[in-house]
Amino acid sequence: MDLISWITQMVDGSFITIKLFFIVILFSLPLGLCITFFYTSKNIIIRKITGAYILIMRGTPLLLQLFFVFFGLPYIPFIGKYLTFDRFPAGAIAFIFNYAAYYAEIFRGGLLSIDKGQYEAAKVLGLSKWQTTYKIILPQMFRVSLPAISNEVIILVKDTALVTAIGLTDLLQVTKTIVNRTSNIVPFIVAAVFYLIMSYILTLIFKKLEEIFAF
Amino acid sequence: MDMINVKNLKKSFGSLKVLKDINFDVKKGDIIAAIGPSGSGKSTMLRSLINLEKADYGDIIIEGKYLCKKGIYAKEKDAKQICSKMGMVFQHFNLFPHMNIRKNLITAPLLQKKDSKAKINELCSEMLNKVGLYDKINEMPSNLSGGQKQRVAIARALMLNPDIMLFDEPTSALDPELTQEVLNVIKDISKDNMTVIIVTHEIGFAKEIANKIMFMDNGYIIDFGNPHEILDNNKNERIKSFIEKVM
Ligand SMILES: Nc1ncnc2c1ncn2[C@@H]1O[C@H](COP(=O)(O)OP(=O)(O)O)[C@@H](O)[C@H]1O
Ligand SMILES: [Mg+2]
Repeated sequence: MDLISWITQMVDGSFITIKLFFIVILFSLPLGLCITFFYTSKNIIIRKITGAYILIMRGTPLLLQLFFVFFGLPYIPFIGKYLTFDRFPAGAIAFIFNYAAYYAEIFRGGLLSIDKGQYEAAKVLGLSKWQTTYKIILPQMFRVSLPAISNEVIILVKDTALVTAIGLTDLLQVTKTIVNRTSNIVPFIVAAVFYLIMSYILTLIFKKLEEIFAF
Repeated sequence: MDMINVKNLKKSFGSLKVLKDINFDVKKGDIIAAIGPSGSGKSTMLRSLINLEKADYGDIIIEGKYLCKKGIYAKEKDAKQICSKMGMVFQHFNLFPHMNIRKNLITAPLLQKKDSKAKINELCSEMLNKVGLYDKINEMPSNLSGGQKQRVAIARALMLNPDIMLFDEPTSALDPELTQEVLNVIKDISKDNMTVIIVTHEIGFAKEIANKIMFMDNGYIIDFGNPHEILDNNKNERIKSFIEKVM
């Protein structure tokens, strides 16, 4: 196996890792926000269901959830055949639902940190509930949540490597294969550097965001 | 027509009766200072007027319109309309920390489409000049002193052109050297044909600007009237000892 071919394979693998990362971010953040709203709903049944969801997602291994979606769902009687996913979508689904639960908890913490005086000021200034939510509450909630979100996003970069376990040819899977074939440790180091750079760039981006939205 | 009428207002938090039987009228241009011991229900009374607390019983009439009749409230939309004649300033300012001073002022009038954006911005400059803070227009609230924050909060309330201004201990959270700048702004406003109710412990200030004093104790208004009568040589022991204590 020559140098060029293993480099191209690792580039392909990192693209899959990056694609997975962005798709998970794109869907899990809004989903997390929705879950926060359900979790703070006035309806106790909705609250309980949401609470159970968050408990399951955070209380069981992500790897198990990954196996559950990819290997497990197809075995469900009758509907299993409609729940059979390719490796990439299966990985994305498991990650999205798992990370959404974490983001929901972070956003909820952000909501709780907002003083009730903010709601009262908005009310006496004649803002509607919806205007209060999107002009006053959400911006503050996001700002307060940023450091914790940043932390979670960087964990995601590294967690994406778990999809290796369902045979998706992400960066780690490809690297492992190359190491086996070439009996050479360098690809592991290259992969480590890749993850490190990605984490570092995200750290910088979030630092910048925290500065921009500082108050 | 009176600006505000309150009749038989009652309010409890759980089993704690906070407002027991509150009755008073406010005429146009009245400057009313509400004083009394901590926990006597002053804030709850003030907050009930602007629908931040729901009364259990009684009437609240704002400029002739019932916000609440025998404890039954107007529909949310009507209540909002009725309360739009009032502005409120809080002890802890409650500025929006993620918006600069200009945005703090213009957001509500813009959302309510009170006027064109240009007009609203013009009004914003005018109001900030009025409270002496035009040079802070692009600052964030966290860069302001407490006194400046409170002046911004007052300017923000004035943006909506209220007929009635409610102040709940506007200087209680401030260092003593910063209270005067806020009191001066309130004094200015009270000369502008505005109707004002201010909860305060600044007895000297109350005497200076108010034409009526409301003394609350234990959920009742136990005296209401001329500042001179209430503050100087009051016969009532409770009132007398309170005034001696805070003076
Ligand atoms: N939201 C609330 N829940 C429970 N008790 C309250 C609440 N708000 C005020 N109280 C109680 O009601 C009483 C009157 O409070 P308040 O109107 O704030 O008095 P004041 O402004 O005169 O100090 C106090 O005993 C206070 O603890
Ligand atoms: Mg109070």
